[in-house]
This record gives sequence, C-alpha cells and structure tokens, in this order.
Amino acid sequence: MTTVRRIYLDHSATTPVDPRVVEAMLPYLTERLGNPSSVHFFGQQARAAVDAARREVARMIGARPNEVVFLSGATEANNLAVRGLCEAAEPHGRHIITSAIEHSSLRGICAALEHRGWSITRLPVYEDGIVRVDDVRAALRKDTVLISIMMANNEIGTVQPIAEIGAMIREERARSHRHLWYHTDVVQAAGRMPIDVESIGCDLLSLSAHKMYGPKGIGALYARRGVRLTPQIVGGHQERERRAGTEAVPAIVAFGRAAQLAVAEMHGRNQQARRLRDRFEAEVTTKIPDIVLNGHREHRLPHISNISFRFIEGEGLLINLDMQGVAVSTGSACSSGTLEPSPVIRALGHSEEKARGAIRFSFGKDNCDEDVDYVIEVLARVVANLRHLSPLAREAQAAI
Amino acid sequence: MAYSETFKDHIANPRRAGYLDDVNAGAEQTNPVCGDRLQLSLRIKEGRIEAARFLAYGCAPTLACGSVLAEMIEGMSCAEAAALTRQEILQILGGLPSRKQHAAALAIEVLRTALEPSSSSLGPPASRPQ
Repeated sequence: MTTVRRIYLDHSATTPVDPRVVEAMLPYLTERLGNPSSVHFFGQQARAAVDAARREVARMIGARPNEVVFLSGATEANNLAVRGLCEAAEPHGRHIITSAIEHSSLRGICAALEHRGWSITRLPVYEDGIVRVDDVRAALRKDTVLISIMMANNEIGTVQPIAEIGAMIREERARSHRHLWYHTDVVQAAGRMPIDVESIGCDLLSLSAHKMYGPKGIGALYARRGVRLTPQIVGGHQERERRAGTEAVPAIVAFGRAAQLAVAEMHGRNQQARRLRDRFEAEVTTKIPDIVLNGHREHRLPHISNISFRFIEGEGLLINLDMQGVAVSTGSACSSGTLEPSPVIRALGHSEEKARGAIRFSFGKDNCDEDVDYVIEVLARVVANLRHLSPLAREAQAAI
Repeated sequence: MAYSETFKDHIANPRRAGYLDDVNAGAEQTNPVCGDRLQLSLRIKEGRIEAARFLAYGCAPTLACGSVLAEMIEGMSCAEAAALTRQEILQILGGLPSRKQHAAALAIEVLRTALEPSSSSLGPPASRPQ
C-alpha cells in the first residue's frame, strides 16, 4: 500500500498546535489541576497561569490585561461583541454598519439581529475586496450604534483600512455621535500583522487561538474599559462577570504561549509564507490558463491565495486534490452546506461561475518549496481533467 | 456522511467523460436550484445503448452521478435504462448526503429525457463541438 504524501494548505481554517504550546499547556491537564476560583494552592497556581496568559494576549494587541475576556473562540467573541454591545446599546439606536465579506459568524449574528428589527448596512468591497472609508462615513446614521469591520478577510486575505475607519469614528464621536462603538474581527490577521487597539481605535476586537498555532476551543474578546456589554453566558463571576463558566485553564495557557510566539516569530513566518505564496501564484499563472486571482494583490495577508478556476466547481477540485494528499478549502456552495456560492467572491462582483470555482490555498510555517512543487504539478493535472468533462469549458473553447 | 471510496474514484477517474461524435440521442438538464448541469449523449442502435458519454458542471455529486450513469447504461437496452432509478445510482456510489441526492435525481432526469423518442434524433443542444 502506498502512502499518500500529505500537504496541508489550509492554515486559514486551522493550524497545528506548536509543540512549544503543547509543552506549556500539558501540566495544566495533569498535575496543575486547580480551578482558578479556588483559594487553595492549586487554585492559585491556575489563577497565576491564567493571569500570565492574559498578559501575553493583551501584549499582542496593545491592551490592558483586564480588557481581555477569554471565551471559547471567535464565534463566541463575535457574539459577545455584537449581541452583547447591541443589547446594551439598544436605547441609543438599532443600526449596524458592517461589510459584505465578514466571517460567517458575524454575518449570522447580523442576520439574527435583523430578524429582531435591527437595521443592517452591509458595505460593498468592490473588485479588490476592500471596504472604502468614505462608504462607512456615508452609511452613518443618527441611530448607528455599532460598526463592525474585519481586519483581514478569511477567504481572500484582503486587509481592510480599519485604523482609518477608527480615526473617522473618533471624529464622529467628537462631533457629538457619542453612542457609537467599533468592533473588529482580527482572527485571520492575528500573528500575521502587528495589532494595536489604540492605533485601530476599536472598542471590541475578536481573537482565536487555533489560527495562530494554538488549540481549538479558546479565543478572546478585547473589550475596552468602560464599554458595556450584556453577557451572553451568565451564571458565574468569571472573567469579571462578562463570561460565566470555569476558565479553560490548559487552553488559556496555550493561547498565552501561542500569542507570545506569534509576536516573536511574526516576521520570519510572514517572510516564509509570502515567498511560498508568491512563488505558487507565479507558477499557477504560468501553467494553468483561465484563472482569476481574487482580491487585492498588495493589501492582503501574506499566506493566503484565493484563485478561481474557470469552468469547474471547487468541490470536485477539492476532492481530487485531497485524494492526491493536498488539503485546501473552498467557499463553494456544495462544500459549505449552502446553495449559494461564496458571498465573499460574489461581493467582488464576480459571476456565480467564478465564485463556484474559487479555492483558497493558505500557507503555514511548516510548508516548504517541495510542497509548492508538488501542489503545482497535481493542480495542473486535476484542473485539466475536470475541465475535460465540463460543458462550460467546451463551450468556451468552441467560442474561440 | 462522508463520501465513499467509490464516489471519490469516480471523481478522480470519471468514466465515459466527453461527447460522442456520432450521437443520435442526448439531453441536457440544469438543476434550477444550484445551477448544476449534466449533459448526456448516446449512440443507440436497434434499441440498445451502444455508447454513452457525459459532461457535467457542478458539485462533486453531479460529476460522480454522471460518471456512474454513463458507465452503467452502456450496453443496456433502452427499456432497461429507462427503468433505472436514482436509488440504483446512489447504491453504486455508496449513498450521498441527503441534501446532495438531487444529483442522482438530475442524472435520472437527463437519462429519461435523452431516451424520449422526440430527442432520439437530436444531440445535446449545447456544447456540441464546433
């Protein structure tokens, strides 16, 4: 039996836990067993570990430790940020400004609020996948209480002008729009870009550990001091009453270590990912016809490449690549469990056919040049095979 | 549910993909919900399907169902082919998740349309090589 070579190019979905992170968390699964709420030795040992991790996560984003709330992940962080803020701020207005390319969790939260009578403005992103500050300004209303724009998109990696939006919000507040708050989801950007809550000017910011070589099941919400949130999980005093439930100590410790490593190694990781990604795109462009590189070429994260392969659907491509040992992802309808193709690619103004053929390749710190060589070889072959059985490809050929 | 090995094999190695030059029956159907397309071309002689080819655009189950269909009907009499059900396609593929079973329905629909007498002298309307 032959062993399939496995190449993981889906680091935007999740990353492997760094062995140094595993090493840090292991004692908290065994001998360091305390509940941080306990007053005895074990409890205080766990409390100290959680506090240390909180300092590391806070340091990564330029926040104070007591502004960091640990919770189960980015989806919960987005829920606490948006629902928590909106429920508390409802007397001041019921309008949210967001973008058309937010993460599905944010989109779902906004849809749920809309169902409850909130008004949602979803800003366009144009062909480059970037929100315009002028559009945010133009969408502001007297009853706008929240602006939520992600720092970098999870499918195409485009980086949004969140500091400029933050500056504009400061001006608005100074102009008497006092009840206006600003949230950003930095899940994809964390560990890839320097993040500073003061420079961004945000009130709320969502983080997840498993996109930066930490474990799944742990995330954080930065909530600026003084910002009122209605807790979404109640029944305990933990996390300064913002999120009830015994702290996931081993995962929190791991998150702290992952954050520390992400800050220390960001430059090297980015250089490596960018070099591989750029080489990959150069070779794909040369060897495979009829492709579209999605999103802005410069203003994007260094590790993501999103490509639409014309005339074929992403799921068949994904399965074929997987059979050859290459793991990628697609926002295509059939894979994601919906009937609509990727809203992100559609938001770029692309046709449904281009959206259905979009594949995301996301590189990580353990990928190498040999991985790129292999993926290019497999990809060219698989795309050609799928086009051979596509009526769209034949029609396009006949039209030439 | 996960896709079976048979399913994956049909995706990696589609059977009877393409278009017949000397086609004398055929049809194309589009799933109105998701936009998947399946095209079938047949060469029928004396009531028997001598050759079958398919082209497909859409999610992986549509591709796999097209491949299974074209492979299984070659050599069948038209009557046998017309009696096929989507369950038989699903069985060969080791089943499909419920929300993807429409692909098997599309395959049966295109087959029955191709076998209708009115389509017997027609090739698939689109995609015929120029």
